[in-house]
Amino acid sequence: MNLEARWHTLHGWLGTFAKRAAALFCMLSLIGCSGVQSALDPAGGDASRIYWLTVIMTVGGTLIFLGVTSLLLYAIFAPPERRAWLGTRGTIVYGGLAFPIVTLSALLPYGLIVMRDTDVPQEGALPIEVIGEQYWWRVRYPADGRQTEFSTANEIVVPVGRSIAVSVTSADVIHSFWIPNFGGKIDMIPGRINRINFTAERPGVYRGVCAEFCGDQHARMAFDVIALEPEAFEAWRTEQAKPAREPEIPLLARGRELFRVGGCGSCHAVRGTEASGQFGPDLTHVGSRRTIGAGQFPNNIGTLAGWIANTQHIKPGVRMPSYGSLSGEDLRALAGYMESLK
Amino acid sequence: MNAPESPRSFGRNEPDYPNPLPRPEGEFEALQKAWKAPSGLSFITAVNNTYVGLWYIGTAFLFFILAGILALIMRAQLALPESNLVGHDLYNQLFTMHGTVMMFLFAVPAVEAASVYLLPNMQAARDLPFPRLSAYAFWAYFVGGLVFFGTIFFGLAPNGGWFMYPPLTGSKYSPAENADWWLLGIGFIEISAIAGAIEIIVGVMKTRAVGMSLDKLPIYSWAMLVFAVMIVIGFPAVILATLLLEMERAFGWPFFIAERGGDPLLWQHLFWFFGHPEVYIIFLPATGMVSMIVPTMAQTPLVGYRLIVLALVATGFLSFGLWVHHMFATGLPKMSLSFFSAASTAVAVPSGIQVFAWIATIASGRMKLTTPSLFIIGFLFIFTLGGLTGVMVAMAPFDWQAHDSYFVVAHLHYVLIGGMVFPLFAAFYYWMPVASKYPLSERLGRWVFGLMFLGVNVTFLPMHITGLIGMPRRVYTYPVGMGWDTLNVVSTIGAFMIAAGVAIFIYDLARKFRFASDDNAGNVWNASTLEWLPNGNYNTRSIPEVVSRDPLWDQPNLSKDVEEGRYYLPGTATGGREALVTSPFDARPQYILQVPGPGWQPVLAAVFTAAFFLLLTVKFVLTSVVCGVIAVGCVIWWLWETDPGPVRPPADIGGGIVVPVYVTGPANHSWWAMIVLMVVAGMVFTCLIFSYLFLWLVNPGAWPPQNVRIPEWTWPSLAAFLYCGSAVLIAAASRQLRGEDRRSPISVPILIGVALLFLCGGSAIDLWAQWGTDLSPSAHAYGAAVYAIMSLQIFFVLTTLIMGAYTIARWLARRLDSVRRTTFDNTMLFWYYTVGQGLVALIVVHCFPRLTGGI
Amino acid sequence: MSGRRTGQVLLMVAGLIAWAVQFTIIYAVTSTLCGRGWADAAFLGFEIVPMTIVSATLVTFSATLLAAVWSFRNHRRKGEQPVSGADSFMNHVATLINGLSLVIILWHGISAFILPACA
Repeated sequence: MNLEARWHTLHGWLGTFAKRAAALFCMLSLIGCSGVQSALDPAGGDASRIYWLTVIMTVGGTLIFLGVTSLLLYAIFAPPERRAWLGTRGTIVYGGLAFPIVTLSALLPYGLIVMRDTDVPQEGALPIEVIGEQYWWRVRYPADGRQTEFSTANEIVVPVGRSIAVSVTSADVIHSFWIPNFGGKIDMIPGRINRINFTAERPGVYRGVCAEFCGDQHARMAFDVIALEPEAFEAWRTEQAKPAREPEIPLLARGRELFRVGGCGSCHAVRGTEASGQFGPDLTHVGSRRTIGAGQFPNNIGTLAGWIANTQHIKPGVRMPSYGSLSGEDLRALAGYMESLK
Repeated sequence: MNAPESPRSFGRNEPDYPNPLPRPEGEFEALQKAWKAPSGLSFITAVNNTYVGLWYIGTAFLFFILAGILALIMRAQLALPESNLVGHDLYNQLFTMHGTVMMFLFAVPAVEAASVYLLPNMQAARDLPFPRLSAYAFWAYFVGGLVFFGTIFFGLAPNGGWFMYPPLTGSKYSPAENADWWLLGIGFIEISAIAGAIEIIVGVMKTRAVGMSLDKLPIYSWAMLVFAVMIVIGFPAVILATLLLEMERAFGWPFFIAERGGDPLLWQHLFWFFGHPEVYIIFLPATGMVSMIVPTMAQTPLVGYRLIVLALVATGFLSFGLWVHHMFATGLPKMSLSFFSAASTAVAVPSGIQVFAWIATIASGRMKLTTPSLFIIGFLFIFTLGGLTGVMVAMAPFDWQAHDSYFVVAHLHYVLIGGMVFPLFAAFYYWMPVASKYPLSERLGRWVFGLMFLGVNVTFLPMHITGLIGMPRRVYTYPVGMGWDTLNVVSTIGAFMIAAGVAIFIYDLARKFRFASDDNAGNVWNASTLEWLPNGNYNTRSIPEVVSRDPLWDQPNLSKDVEEGRYYLPGTATGGREALVTSPFDARPQYILQVPGPGWQPVLAAVFTAAFFLLLTVKFVLTSVVCGVIAVGCVIWWLWETDPGPVRPPADIGGGIVVPVYVTGPANHSWWAMIVLMVVAGMVFTCLIFSYLFLWLVNPGAWPPQNVRIPEWTWPSLAAFLYCGSAVLIAAASRQLRGEDRRSPISVPILIGVALLFLCGGSAIDLWAQWGTDLSPSAHAYGAAVYAIMSLQIFFVLTTLIMGAYTIARWLARRLDSVRRTTFDNTMLFWYYTVGQGLVALIVVHCFPRLTGGI
Repeated sequence: MSGRRTGQVLLMVAGLIAWAVQFTIIYAVTSTLCGRGWADAAFLGFEIVPMTIVSATLVTFSATLLAAVWSFRNHRRKGEQPVSGADSFMNHVATLINGLSLVIILWHGISAFILPACA
């Protein structure tokens, strides 16, 4: 068997072992490691590379840990004449000096190589700009080929198989952009533009969060990440670039009127209407998003109504005031209009 | 150097005792009288390391319990998703305070406190060289710490995280006073830590048992030496950072505001340049304790003493090359990250050396499974795991995932609880017989250990997974259905197990701990080091001469001989408190240091210093300034009694060794302390210059910004000339003050006075010149940086002014002459430093922007 | 502290000081050049960032090697003339520290061969 084949066998064996060990560990801890927001369920090349680094270090670390613990117990409990060899300076030189130097001399270059290969800008990547704001995400898709630019919020949709180049910054304090299934995190720092690159390899719904403490509602600052097949992505993109759809029934028209007179447009933009505020999330296609409140609640007419009426109760400290004075009827109309903005 | 070289050879095996028996009548009584603790209300003016050390440890332990309770509330909140037990506002204060209190009010003070108590005993010194300074450090910490903690009851506690990242903590996003409490409260407690560090450095280097040369120094002393040097290098960075942020909050100087040329990352660099070494600052003293406990429990000398010293020193250095590994996700170039990755990897090697040294020691002896041993075993288990996850997060790509997730929470608690809390508990059990009439209960100790050990693992082991499956840190709640629920419940259960263990410990402490000095429980473990000698407030009756690292094992009658007064300095030479100062390498007796006794000055100075900072926080500026002035007054009152001069001719301490009771120059202990203080000051200044250069780097083409003029060459040249002139005058004054004839010419105060004028004039000219260019400190980071450098210089000039005036006052009071000139020496050293710093500041501020030409 | 003692202490931590110098140089140069976009510059056909790293590594490594050899010889010579415990101890620890520093300095030079200058 040549060296390469051996390596493949070893790699395969290691992989199976690690997967089984991980599965066992997950079972023991009564949770699934697969998840919409898990570094242990990689859905992209970078996340896989880091996942393998994790697995190798975990397995290696566990072995070293078991070794050290066994030596310690041996040093305490073995009969004195049998453990005498351990009680010498040699133990320190070999165990504490030579062994770490050899191990780390292998690990460090491996870590650096993973670092080199992770988060690498690619030709033809899809650019996306994300701006962290206190407790939500402003997302901009710049013009790309025939496609025009548009803004959305708290949701990132990406095509599978194409590299994504996300530029991030912040409008207020430091946030951190993290989609565990696709790779590491990158801080969003006012005055600096940082970049992170990743490729989604598996269609599905994932979740990202803010990883840097950013104030009162840091805990409620998440977003959805949806990986679509390229055609579906193009279709989504075309839809998003369009202006908001007209209300089709009187109730929704009333909702739009309430939106207008209530002054919602001074903070929110709904393209195709006079609402053009830039302070809060763009709501042109808010009805098409999976969740509201920055990844907090499933998006439906009920949660939308609840959000409008009780913002400060649900997520105290956000900029948007509660509109608790709306009548039930008005609230339904307004929420219905929002929900209709697919 | 006035100290004589010892005529005797050291390292003899056959002891012929320095002092004969029987000892003269009244000698012991005089010693006891000199060291008697004050009674009644004045008890709090005690400065002896035994008392101050214990108060210090007790206070630190109190903060451990308080911060632990905060953690329990947090764990209760996180037990269930979407829980409403505490709101977001309180939770954010809780986690900020938990981190801050554990780091600044528990961990660093606890290890410092333990060394105030243990170091002199272990080195058979009568006391630390500056007992009043330790008392001052303690009281400042006690008052400041309690008030700081009290803010949580009023909803005023800081809530921006223990790392206080701006802009979140800037005045725009945190307009309330919560952040100011952190900045002023912590900044000031750090000053107390630095005071302790200076004390420890001088204590380790200068006050040891005779013959305790560097190769016979207890490992604990080595650890504390490295610890103290690290504080001296690391803490100035965070002191400067807090100063800059407070200036930004108070006056709008934009160091961290991106729109005006600042950069939030500057804070992170400064904070972590302190923050990472901080971890090792906490860890090294704990390893020092372990290296003392393991040999005793295994009843065998430590294996690999030299390798452990290597590990301590290497850790001390390397830990300053790790700080960016807290910033792996900030978007720095991968190349830059790789250096920190390498250093973070490298620092694992010294830790490995220490772990294997302990294993080897255990294997070469026979480990008794006492409670201290159990805590040591627990420490090795937990710390090894934490160290291994530490190597994992040293790999930047892995850290990109793990950073700011619960994985890191797990890692840091494994390292800190394993690396510091467990050794500290081992130390509590181990050294209790020194401090108390009765040792703690071994039976309950097993319960304490069992609950804490299981508790730590149950709490933190699952968190590794919680983090990797996506749970970020510092969240007050989390959504249902993320797969985090079970793990969080388990962690909460574990936290309460730890609490139960600590509760049993407190119960046992209440039952068994009874303060003792000369009637302590004694050497119950058959330990080998000098803290187990029979002792009282004066520590040991006579200062032993040691010939090995394990004197109590190798010199069988040492305890009895020391107690009978057969060794050096069995009484008091001057009639007051005194310590024997030894040479830093070979520990030969150099001179007798007259140690100050109890006094109200350090207590009052500390209370008013605390009041100054705390009142400043709540913006009672005037009252605060009054308190500040009173504090300075108290310090001067305290200093006035020091520098006693040669009150008697050189004294015979036994064995034919005659040493003076007063020396000046580089052999003097306060000379050393002044050098260390200059290093502290130099580090603050270096960090400020780093900040200046950093801000230049982030402002291409705007350094200085458009429309900003740099002052003409004339002014900085004149300022530099005046600075140099003042240094020359001080050198001249020093020449006037030489000779054995105790002369004290009038030219000395005159030269000092003129030098003061020069120094202040130089500083004023520089300020005036900048002011004349209409440079605003709040318009752009450039102005802020320039004014920050100038402000620091002015602060040093003002301090020199006070010191110079004080020196003149000493002359007027006839307390300064050519022999009794320690006060002058200290002023002179500080003066040279101030002049040097001023010159560098002028070069940076005036030459750098011209050289770079605005690029 | 006499001059001889100061020298002894410096020799004891020479390797770590060399590491600190290497670290400061490579970090400062990388940050400054990358931060200002000057890293594309080349010198004698070598990219400036990796070249700085390699040369800083070589220089500090050689210096540490010298220190290590010197302290090792001091350490070995102890049999010829009687030395105090402190001296023998310092010489031995110096050898150990300088030896370990060699490895650490090398580790800091690796990245020049693996990573791009400023990405």
